[in-house]
Amino acid sequence: MDSSSGFLPAGAANGGSNNGGGAQAQQQAAPPPIREQDRLMPIANVIRIMRRVLPPHAKISDDAKETIQECVSEYISFITGEANERCQREQRKTITAEDVLWAMSRLGFDDYVDPLSVYLHRYREFEGEARGVGGLPPGATRGGDHHHHSMAPPPMLKPRAPGAAMPPHHHDMQLHHASMYGGAVPPHHGHGHGFAMPHHQGGHHQYLPYPYDPAYGGEHAMAAYYGGSGAAYAPGNGGSGGDGSGSSGGSASQGGGFEHQHPFASYK
Amino acid sequence: MRQARPYSGIFCGGVSARTGPHALPLARIKKIMKRSAGEAADGGARMISGEAPVVFSKACELFIAEITRRAWAATLEGKRRTVHKEDVATAVHNTDLFDFLVDVVMADAGGGGHAAPGYDDDENGALE
Repeated sequence: MDSSSGFLPAGAANGGSNNGGGAQAQQQAAPPPIREQDRLMPIANVIRIMRRVLPPHAKISDDAKETIQECVSEYISFITGEANERCQREQRKTITAEDVLWAMSRLGFDDYVDPLSVYLHRYREFEGEARGVGGLPPGATRGGDHHHHSMAPPPMLKPRAPGAAMPPHHHDMQLHHASMYGGAVPPHHGHGHGFAMPHHQGGHHQYLPYPYDPAYGGEHAMAAYYGGSGAAYAPGNGGSGGDGSGSSGGSASQGGGFEHQHPFASYK
Repeated sequence: MRQARPYSGIFCGGVSARTGPHALPLARIKKIMKRSAGEAADGGARMISGEAPVVFSKACELFIAEITRRAWAATLEGKRRTVHKEDVATAVHNTDLFDFLVDVVMADAGGGGHAAPGYDDDENGALE
């Protein structure tokens, strides 16, 4: 915490003082006045996430919504500040996902690291798949149809091996494949995983070719995500310690992610 | 319509901003990150990996869920069923993890910190 204290005033200036049209308060933080819509997460998205964890009869006042909105921006600033300091210390220019995870575990959000690692891992898998399937080099233009592929992915699939960042989650890809496709997405073939993709959310466990730990935080996180249930994560699952050590994988991730479209974008 | 240019999918929101797996727009997250990170040590702009906002999109979900749950606990404590900003403030004050938000909720509460919710007139007070 202490090393972040130098950052906090800036974060507070960014996130703490808008209570209604605070453009003038932002001018000291950044040269152009920051528009409200650039400074905060969209309120509808925030409300949707809030409603997910509240009972149906709960109401949310407008000021509570706005406060949470502020808090989210502050949260991003808070974590980013810590990640930023780390980059500065190590004389790196780019804040990576691992820096963010590291900062979270350092600032007390250890419980988030597991589900986030899974989420990131799954994202990378899909991204790698999207990149590998077309046989296109990074940055090459690809049509929006890469999700139609029906052949087995080529060997270059998964360019980022599950490395230092998140070794315990290797097997989870299939689980998340399963739960992902259990959503509103039509059945999808040819991923080469050797098992059928379930069409419904509830039954995906039976497709898993391995035993899994039901207490696993990431599983809940993803299921909550796609199922819209309230269990966003399972705090305190100690199944895979040492997540803060993901930093060593940082450099590997820097190159990716910019060149091509989001692999999930087609799955709407 | 589904056609996405390279560069367009991840950072510009696009389809994923609304219906994709990211419940929060990555471009917005990145903007907030950029502002928070400022400049790199050499004066150059701090760069942000494309994956960092992806992580944040999920992290913010977890964060919103957690603070909402704790605020709701405060709401129930007050035998109400409308979450007010004071409940959020209570959640922040009761949670060490959220210490960094104290200024935010104080600013929102007019500098008074945790005040007793005073909006009960719009509630029926009866909880199932």
